[in-house]
Amino acid sequence: MTSKPGLAGGIPERRVRPIWDAVDSRQFKTALKLSTALLAKHPNSPYAIALKALILERTGRLDEALSVCLEAKELLHSSNLNMVQMDDLTLSTLQIVFQRLDRLDLATQCYEHACRKFPNNLELLMGLFNCYVREYSFVKQQQTAIKLYKIVAEERFLLWAICSIQLQVLCSSGGEKLLSLAEALLKKHIASHSLHEPEAVVMYISILEQQAKYEDALDILSGNLGSLIGIEVDRLRLQGRLLARACNYTAAAEIYQKVLQARPDDWGSFLNYLGCLLGTDFSWSTSGSSQLCSSDNVVFQGCKSTNLPLEVFDSRIESALSFVQKLQMEVHDGLARCPYLASIEIERQCRLRGKTDAKLLEALLNYFQRFGHLSCFASDLECFSSTLTQIERAEILGRFIEISESSKLSPLKKLGQAITIFKLDEVFGFLTVLPVEAFHLVLFLIFLVLLDIPPELVETSTKMVDVYCKNLVLSSDLDPQENMHGEELLQMASSALVMLYWRTRCYGYLLEALLVLEFGLNIRKYVWQYKLSLVHLYSYVNALPLAYEWYGTLDTKNILLETVSHHIMPQLFVSPLWSETSALLKDYLKFMDDYLREAADLTFLAYRHRNYSKVIEFVQFKERLEHSNQYLAARIEYWILQLKQETNTLEEAECILEKLYRGMQLLELSSDEKLNSLTFNEDLQLRPWWSPSSHVNYLSEPFDGVSACSRENLVPIAGDIGLPRFQASGLAILQYGHCRLFLTDNYRLWMESLAKYPARNRGSTSILDSLFQVQLGTRGRQEQLVGEYKHQACENGNIVRNVLARKSLVPRLIYLSIQSATTSLKETVEPNASEKDANSNGELRFLLEKYARSIGLSFDDAVKLIFEISKGQRSFKDFGTDMVVDCMNFAVFLNAWNLCSNHPLLLHQDGVNLISWNVVENLVNTCIAEQLICARRVLDGPGSNLPILVQLITEPFTWHALVIKSCLRSMLPLGKKKKKSGLSDHLNLRHLSLVSNSIDCLSNGIQKVHKWLEDQMNGSEDSRLDILLSEVKVMQSVTGPGSVLRILEECASSSHEELGERIYGALQLWSSTDVIRKLVNSQASLLLKFQDICGAKLKMLEVMKRSF
Amino acid sequence: MTTIRRFCCEDLLRFAPVNFDHLTETFNMSFYMSYLARWPDYFHVAEAPGNRIMGYIMGKVEGQGESWHGHVTAVTVACEYRRQQLAKKLMHLLEDISDKIDKAYFVDLFVRASNMPAIKMYEKLGYVVYRRVLRYYSGEEDGLDMRKALSRDVEKKSMIPLKRPITPDELEYD
Repeated sequence: MTSKPGLAGGIPERRVRPIWDAVDSRQFKTALKLSTALLAKHPNSPYAIALKALILERTGRLDEALSVCLEAKELLHSSNLNMVQMDDLTLSTLQIVFQRLDRLDLATQCYEHACRKFPNNLELLMGLFNCYVREYSFVKQQQTAIKLYKIVAEERFLLWAICSIQLQVLCSSGGEKLLSLAEALLKKHIASHSLHEPEAVVMYISILEQQAKYEDALDILSGNLGSLIGIEVDRLRLQGRLLARACNYTAAAEIYQKVLQARPDDWGSFLNYLGCLLGTDFSWSTSGSSQLCSSDNVVFQGCKSTNLPLEVFDSRIESALSFVQKLQMEVHDGLARCPYLASIEIERQCRLRGKTDAKLLEALLNYFQRFGHLSCFASDLECFSSTLTQIERAEILGRFIEISESSKLSPLKKLGQAITIFKLDEVFGFLTVLPVEAFHLVLFLIFLVLLDIPPELVETSTKMVDVYCKNLVLSSDLDPQENMHGEELLQMASSALVMLYWRTRCYGYLLEALLVLEFGLNIRKYVWQYKLSLVHLYSYVNALPLAYEWYGTLDTKNILLETVSHHIMPQLFVSPLWSETSALLKDYLKFMDDYLREAADLTFLAYRHRNYSKVIEFVQFKERLEHSNQYLAARIEYWILQLKQETNTLEEAECILEKLYRGMQLLELSSDEKLNSLTFNEDLQLRPWWSPSSHVNYLSEPFDGVSACSRENLVPIAGDIGLPRFQASGLAILQYGHCRLFLTDNYRLWMESLAKYPARNRGSTSILDSLFQVQLGTRGRQEQLVGEYKHQACENGNIVRNVLARKSLVPRLIYLSIQSATTSLKETVEPNASEKDANSNGELRFLLEKYARSIGLSFDDAVKLIFEISKGQRSFKDFGTDMVVDCMNFAVFLNAWNLCSNHPLLLHQDGVNLISWNVVENLVNTCIAEQLICARRVLDGPGSNLPILVQLITEPFTWHALVIKSCLRSMLPLGKKKKKSGLSDHLNLRHLSLVSNSIDCLSNGIQKVHKWLEDQMNGSEDSRLDILLSEVKVMQSVTGPGSVLRILEECASSSHEELGERIYGALQLWSSTDVIRKLVNSQASLLLKFQDICGAKLKMLEVMKRSF
Repeated sequence: MTTIRRFCCEDLLRFAPVNFDHLTETFNMSFYMSYLARWPDYFHVAEAPGNRIMGYIMGKVEGQGESWHGHVTAVTVACEYRRQQLAKKLMHLLEDISDKIDKAYFVDLFVRASNMPAIKMYEKLGYVVYRRVLRYYSGEEDGLDMRKALSRDVEKKSMIPLKRPITPDELEYD
């Protein structure tokens, strides 16, 4: 990009080339040598200087690089350089270095200066435009693009300006008036030059659509410009969308018909077609960039019923039916499901309109006959599950079974149908109500009789495993890369076993749930669904190292770090696995930081390649990721982890705090504004039903069909509010776009029973009514419900925000606490220090108030609470488990504040002595005692309070130790005993004893935990192994834990060579004992890690004790 | 049941069930976004009811003269939606765009020499092994360069297999 051929920044290119070659081959020493030689010849060449800076930056000499860059910048500004020396090559080289040094502003200044000097230079102006793209300065981008356009009236520059306007409207608070400016600019250009790029047309239409000028947009689309859109179907979809937005539903429906004729399997277009035909309320995506890739335009699948008069409705349904039948006739490949699912959707619409004939069932049966063997059959039908009554569901299932049994299909297809039926059991919620043996509730019995449901859940799970084992032979010839037939069965069996565990609390079922998956992975190691379930199951049974290992095999990287690391990250944060946590956090943060750094360059790439809709999309996406709640959480947790790890000496902790600008950095990151714009990008669909979000675990609650689905549990998880659909996996999930809401299917069954048996209808709540209304599809109630869910989504967001706000305070609180402890015991007061100290103390108080608010208390109430707990008047048990750690933190920081407050709280009766030290000590004693009393053996099953203990010791106890260290440093400034005056001697002695008691108290507390951990690991590995094995290897003739394992063992022992070398070999190697042994070892390694941490803390406290 | 449409950034947040497949690579962001920025018509996603991602195809168009061609960089289908010929549909779409919009001579792709199921599928779709690229995958496994001629290559010259294998540094494009 030199301005003159043969010259680079005014220097002959042949002199520069070797330097670039050396840089490219990473021979920086050579490069530097050559660059020095070049500089000797051209001492005043900004390009030569910029090259030197580039090499310095690559070798990590960042400060030098910056100062050399600044030298070049100075030169560019000061002297009368000619255009050759101020070319784009020089500036872009400087730009690269400035960008790597995180000084985009300086690069922009260079370009701004150059453009002032040579205002008509296109290259320089494009460079400047690029600078503004990097800085996301949309207004300046627009101005620069307009300048470019004025110099040469090229379409691309105009579109650069249009994009910049769009970005102002969509991403910042740019006024809507800008849109009419954009339209005017485009119109003028079209009049003289027309448009030549398809994406330019898309942008033009988007500008019109955003102003609701649908007719104009449609004119453009059907004119010459519209023909620029190369993919016909894309053009038609856009047309349909515009017509629908213009409320011209009839024409829109015709257009969607055309789409369907070209793509008969296009389900999205079918829904749009039907929606238009029936005049359903639409909610269209209005994002400017999404016209060619908006996912589903129709929300809630047209569930909102239509207001058409009945006879019009009937005739439209008729025409839809005949269109769909025509499609069915025309499609011959036997694979297009859309025309057949369409029949079901049409019947569903009729039902919403109050028609209850049997056609819906007919359509469903037809669909099963054709596609029942497909893996996606059940998920296709999920959307319709809510339309059916429980009686109908049972009937349908029965009919499906009949069809399957009587059909003469290949064994493969039969297996597929069998799997589908099992899946529907789950989707329809039968697994939640199947009685566990001898667990027959009256209501369930009534249902069983009524619905003729297969008798036992245990049987269901064994049957699934049995079908899997018996059909292994079908997969004997498959390539190991290919999915085996029936793989889903093990996943479903495992899920049913978890349900059994939830309902019976027999640990054996949970162990079987993971054995089943291990068995499957032993046969084929690639099944990620099994791995993901194992991550959760192992986490839950205190074998986090094993969970982490399985997580590792998923090869989660790049964008998956953002969407799926929630499967393991929250568990790691509260675990002693520091190196694993650190590795994961580093990976994730590196990914996000790298992406955010390069995002603007990619946006510019879209500009250059004239894909304008992508420009908008990229900027919006960058904003979304930048505001990710996980990104913020990771940044906070990363530093908290550093503080946890590096607290052996006060200096280490202070060093970390310095890097965080004394803790201020995190406070800025979690300002109210930032917290209010958080995004939720986690893909929660893949989480197990029993833990739909990282802070919900149904298994930790008692199984109770009704209370498990109480109002509180209807918690939306995250994300935008769209409209609901049903999904089920034991629990039915109401989904609003990305936001999932949960209610068990029992609940629905129960509601139906209430309807059937009004006498039982006692205590029905309004939410129950609401849900019942959803069942019936009543529009008004649905809308009300949507409102409630939105409210709950908000509440959930608030929970996340509160946690982040609270955690982000911690480093600053630690910093101020250390300061406070130091100040309180200083022997000499520095001049001006007291005002600074008072400010620090004031800030500490302010932050404590914030901390208290984040746990839902006022400052005074929080003080009162910890005081009462310390007095034994209240217990931690009265609050949620998280409160233990939060209260401890509050008490620790409150004590530090108290030390140097002018108006201390928690004074002794004498009015002089602070009792906040005692309060902390009492709390330490109480919480450890309470936690250890209720702590169950890790080996005995899930539900250990290990995470709480880990948090207590590694967080509040550690912060308290830092406060003590700070006191000690002030009292013993040189680490030696000094002679002191009477007054300070007295002060010191009083404090020394307080501090000494506190050290003893921490030490005792940690010692107890240490001892508890030791007791956990008592006994040999084999004895622990035997305990767990006895849970699953119960030799009973009746069903119960162990029956599934028996099938697995039988399958392994009776394997034969017909299964193929691979499967046969794997079965030979199977050993359930090995799996359980690994589990036991993993638990031990987790305990050991924690014990090591406790040991290190005890050692540290011992050293502190010895220092005085 | 397939709504095929252009891939967009937000799909990256929902494609985990597809990308967890052990043979599907999750690239870094600049890779995906460069494709989106440069060849948005070659990057399509298929959606099932409930907006679930069934699979996607990403590719590009490049080359000079008679080697101007479409290239399939990745095509993948979630296990729930396999055995329904979705990959075929996606491939046809890319071939169609290469053929009709960009007037390319052929479409090519690389596949691991050990991935027999994929090789068989491409053969069914009309691709032939044009040449073997030695140690193409991480310097370990060989890759097969498979090609299918488009209407512009009337004599199907682009598909005549090379006799000897080549090394990755002999490749014209990366």
